[in-house]
Amino acid sequence: MSTIRTRYGVSEWKGRAVLRPALRAGMIVMALVGLVLVSQGLWIHAKAMVAQVLLDRAFTRSVATGQPVKPWSWADTWPVARLEFPRIGETSIALHGASGQALAFGPGHVDRSAEAGDNGTAVYAAHRDTHFAFLKHVQVGDAVRITRRDGKVFTYQVTETSVVRWDQSGIDTNAAGKNLVLATCWPFDAATSGPMRYLVKARMLE
Amino acid sequence: MKTATFHTQQSPRAMPHWLRRTCHALWLINVVGLPFIALAVFFFSLATAHAETARSPLVTLDDVKSGTLLLKSSEAGRYIEAPRVATDVDIVVSGPTARARITQIFTNPSNGWVEAVYAYPLPEDSAVHALKMVVGKRVIIGDIKEKKEAKTIYETAKAAGQKASLVEQQRPNLFTNSVANIGPHEQVVVQIDYQEPVRLSGDEFSLRVPLVVAPRYNPAPITQTADLAADGSGWGTTADPVPDRSKITPPVLDPRINAPVNPVSIKVRLQAGFALGEVKSHHHSVNTETVDAQTQVISLAGDNHADRDFELTWKPQNAKAPAVGLFRETVGKHDYALAYVTPPVIEQKQEQRPREIVFVIDNSGSMGGTSMNQAKASLDYALSRLKPADRFNVIRFDDTMTSLFQDTVSADRENVSTAREFVGALEASGGTEMLAPLEAALNDRRPNDQSFVRQIVFLTDGAIGNEQQLLDTIAAKLGRSRVFMVGIGSAPNNYLMNRAAELGRGTFTSIGSTDQVDERMRNLFAKLESPIITNLSATFSSGNADVTPAILPDLYRGEPLVIAAKLGSLSGTLTIKGMIGKQPWEVTLPVAKAAEGEGLSKLWARRKISDAEVESTLGKISRDEADRRILKLALENSLVSRLTSLVAVDTNPSRPQDKPLTRADVPLNLPAGWDFDKVFGEQATRKASLDNGPDVQFAKLAAGKKPAVQQAPADQLPLPQTATDAELRMIAGLLLLFASAGLFFFSRKTMGKA
Repeated sequence: MSTIRTRYGVSEWKGRAVLRPALRAGMIVMALVGLVLVSQGLWIHAKAMVAQVLLDRAFTRSVATGQPVKPWSWADTWPVARLEFPRIGETSIALHGASGQALAFGPGHVDRSAEAGDNGTAVYAAHRDTHFAFLKHVQVGDAVRITRRDGKVFTYQVTETSVVRWDQSGIDTNAAGKNLVLATCWPFDAATSGPMRYLVKARMLE
Repeated sequence: MKTATFHTQQSPRAMPHWLRRTCHALWLINVVGLPFIALAVFFFSLATAHAETARSPLVTLDDVKSGTLLLKSSEAGRYIEAPRVATDVDIVVSGPTARARITQIFTNPSNGWVEAVYAYPLPEDSAVHALKMVVGKRVIIGDIKEKKEAKTIYETAKAAGQKASLVEQQRPNLFTNSVANIGPHEQVVVQIDYQEPVRLSGDEFSLRVPLVVAPRYNPAPITQTADLAADGSGWGTTADPVPDRSKITPPVLDPRINAPVNPVSIKVRLQAGFALGEVKSHHHSVNTETVDAQTQVISLAGDNHADRDFELTWKPQNAKAPAVGLFRETVGKHDYALAYVTPPVIEQKQEQRPREIVFVIDNSGSMGGTSMNQAKASLDYALSRLKPADRFNVIRFDDTMTSLFQDTVSADRENVSTAREFVGALEASGGTEMLAPLEAALNDRRPNDQSFVRQIVFLTDGAIGNEQQLLDTIAAKLGRSRVFMVGIGSAPNNYLMNRAAELGRGTFTSIGSTDQVDERMRNLFAKLESPIITNLSATFSSGNADVTPAILPDLYRGEPLVIAAKLGSLSGTLTIKGMIGKQPWEVTLPVAKAAEGEGLSKLWARRKISDAEVESTLGKISRDEADRRILKLALENSLVSRLTSLVAVDTNPSRPQDKPLTRADVPLNLPAGWDFDKVFGEQATRKASLDNGPDVQFAKLAAGKKPAVQQAPADQLPLPQTATDAELRMIAGLLLLFASAGLFFFSRKTMGKA
């Protein structure tokens, strides 16, 4: 009873016979593309997490030997500091440079900014959805502990948080005192990238 | 079958056929369409992210294929292609004033949005009063605002993506024009209008158009001035002698490896008001078109670039220039007058007092090349003119100084030849620490000795950034000395020269090329040797006239007294009195017969602003009082000043909010005749250790064509992109999976039905 419903149904049915393989092919292609995209997304997170484990090892060795140690042989960057946030129990290994490649694996120490523990402003940046996702939980007054490659440990206290445009950061790398800025994209839950950055500013506790 | 179907359709419980089809279609659209929309959004955002990197004006050295001019950006290893400026200068000289319109065409050669900052010179007595910005076919007229307010308006527009232009005075002869949001490969045209008085000296009128800002030596903050707190606590702050060093140090190109930039065209319509004799352009070749006996049109011939000042002089046909000139202009309710009066030259029979002259010669790196030769030739000429009764000394300086003799010595043959030998051996190198030699020259060991006339002849290009420190020193320590400035080179700092001569109660002589040395130095010596005209006063009989300059200068031979006044009424007379040597002199002009002039109100206000600066430097009024006066004059007369700026904003935004804007200074040519290594070789090494200011470096690229590379101002650290597209990918992927699953069920259902 369902084969032909109207006189138009005849042509519709014939049309479907042609459509069906195309539909199936489309279905498969869509499923495959979907799988690829999902796995790419997962891969980004997986890479970010696995890299941190390798980085942690490399950093520990680096502190022990006093030499920069590459986390894997083909890496074009190396770990320079361990950032710890005791109140929320987060730890992250920061890399030399804040290029896109480095940021895939961990927070980057922005070139031209001061070394942690030195006069001026040290700036670390990381992705809002991976290594610095926890930055939204960091509060004013929190302690940030930074272990440098030479093993020295410095403790900073968060003084303020703010949102700025990427090209109007107001960060003076030669500012007086020993300052720290952690930067990530803002808003945290946006799906696309934008021009705004979220900054966590801290001062060293003497 | 047909009937059955018909039945179904007729059945009240079944959905009507059209509705079912619509539902199917909607479902299909949802299942297939939504993921595609998601995919589209995903690829679009990827594309824009990509475009953002591609469109970023920053490039790396590897990206540069040809000889492009690059500025180092605040991001390490990345550079920005420098914006270019072409300039057209259109000047109409009518009688005593020149009305100029400068058109600057800014071009952005890069793929990103830039803010171009161009530092350019204007005559030190120019009254800058109008700004126009042309964007496409729209013309935006600029407004005069208090400096801070103008800056805020500009910054707001800049952030909002609107095109805007801000004209600021950094020094009375050094301005910057910032143009925000010039799109990729776009041009923005900015026009600036100013008025300026024509200069008269002897029988010669002259007009000078400075075209390039010479790189200046900015003493490092080591020579600090301390300011102790007023509360007597003994604690205080120290001041940088050049508080705005970053604003007056634009990048400069090495002429050996860069073709000259910033092309210039100039056209002067010269309406002298009298039959013209010799008209001469001193440093450029020109085409001259004679309109009538009184009028000529002069334009630059060939290709020219902004690397030297343009100087035009003209003389009347009958050898003597008119001894007096009186011009008037009515603006609103007020009348303004401008008067030129040249006192007669009287050959005095009485015995001249001998002179005690201290020559100070600048042999710093900026004088390298032809300037040093001009300075040495000038000083040699001066030494040869000394008389045995005179006393003299020679001081040379770069960032060190040497005084040839302990004190001034008599100008006997032996001393003079020692001095000429000393001068002949001088070579240009090093920085320009001008304060110490100036103080040494002003240091008068016999302040009450009336048997000598004490004069200081200072030969320099004035390429320094701490002008105010020098002017303060002259004002404070002048005593009985008189300071004569001799400006050397193709682009001297005329503001410093004129103001130093004014405060030092001497004159300013400019020597722009070696063939001017003889004539100009002869004129200077005629001035030094002739009696001066003192005790000058100018009185308008109608009363309540506001006359400027407030302190009338002493005049030297051949120089006119130039006064501007705001008048209560255009009637009565103007009487000028003075003493020529020991003879009284007086001249009276009928005000009502003044000729019509142009822009006199602006020139009057501009001169009043200088008065306030001079009085504050002399300590006659407080700095605050000077500021108050300057602000009032500038706002009322719409003039750019130390405290006011012109700002124009295009109300239509042009830069999308997600596109970054990069600041870039327009690079300048090295003034003609300068030696690049002498200037920057010295400064770069010294500055590197003292401040983080821009050091000139050169990146090596393909042989022959190398880009000049320089640090762009790095006030703010730019932050990297810190978001992954993981989430976006996962959302798009899940939607696609969901869609394919939906399609699967849909096709199964329809097939099942079949």
